[in-house]
Amino acid sequence: MRGFIAQLRGKIFILICKYFRKNIYIDKGLKIYKKLYIEGNGKIYIGRNCVIDGIKGDKSQYVSIDTHSLDAVIKIGDNVGLYAARVSSKFQITIGNDVLIEESSIVDTDFHSIDKSRGRPTNENKDKCQIYIGNRVCIGVKSVVTKGVKIEDNVIIAPGSVVTTSVKSGSMVMGNPAKPVAG
Amino acid sequence: MKKIIEKLSYIFRVAIALLRGFYYVVYYRLFRSDVKIKFPFKAFASVNIIGPGSVSIGKNCSVLKNVFRGLTIITLSKNAKVAIGKECHLGGLTIRCFNHVEIGDRVMTAVSLIQDSLFVDFNKANSIIKNQQIVAPKSIELGDNVWLSGYSIVLGNSKIGKDCVLGACSLYYNIELNEYSLGLGNPVKRAFPIDRILNLKGAS
Repeated sequence: MRGFIAQLRGKIFILICKYFRKNIYIDKGLKIYKKLYIEGNGKIYIGRNCVIDGIKGDKSQYVSIDTHSLDAVIKIGDNVGLYAARVSSKFQITIGNDVLIEESSIVDTDFHSIDKSRGRPTNENKDKCQIYIGNRVCIGVKSVVTKGVKIEDNVIIAPGSVVTTSVKSGSMVMGNPAKPVAG
Repeated sequence: MKKIIEKLSYIFRVAIALLRGFYYVVYYRLFRSDVKIKFPFKAFASVNIIGPGSVSIGKNCSVLKNVFRGLTIITLSKNAKVAIGKECHLGGLTIRCFNHVEIGDRVMTAVSLIQDSLFVDFNKANSIIKNQQIVAPKSIELGDNVWLSGYSIVLGNSKIGKDCVLGACSLYYNIELNEYSLGLGNPVKRAFPIDRILNLKGAS
């Protein structure tokens, strides 16, 4: 029953986006178990058979996808599971196929400058800040993927990690800052 | 006069917490035979226990609100077992258990996470990753009088000795801490004996 309602919610959401939010392109098979909150005027592409859900036991969590500029692009591949995830982009975030993201943030900007004015960061651009997450990646709870990171295929990001540098294929990283560890 | 009002207000809050705790004890006894909470149980914040596994909470435990959260226990398999000792103060604690989580007596927690598997949806994660084995969920043991500070995370195959202090924002994975030591870092690689730290500061 829960699955059926999630499928129905997904289909309704796809229809709403098709007619009222033309910057959002969603392929078929979307399942929405918890609230999907999409904000901003940038382009968002969501692939086939994606799942939107919270983390079991936490009623308040939902999935948030937001773009902070007109040129921002968020591309999410097929069979991606977003569980209480936050994806926030000012430039570009690309997520591959078969990815699992649990209770984590993917953010390609610092939002504020570190100088006293706290204005917008002046040294950010798409080449430096865009985030790429490959295929078959699993990101554990309470993790953060920061700007400019490239995560290759088949990677495990352990819970509580802060990923600040790129991660090679087939590895597992853990910690703050995240470093490779043996499984 | 002020002190009298404060004392009365405290007594009133404790009474409400005891009543709320009594409600949880009776509720779970009636509707969940695998969840056993011993009275007295003080619930200053909400208690959520979900999932098919078994949970036991010892007597004289309290659940306090810490960073907007009470106690959340999620068992993720039928064989999951969560056992909490007596006289614990649990604030903002989330436990996600596939296998076995054991918490000793007089344990104190701030908002923190105890999770015995790397991923909540362990089976899905296993089906995604190729050419790499995700470590199966392994048990977690916290000894008596352990203090779990804010935003710390304890992952599977961790054994924390009694009287340990787990530093804020620290992460424990596949580690064993000796008794009466301080764990710091993400991930924690080694622990510092607390009596040596106290001797350095000249506190003892």
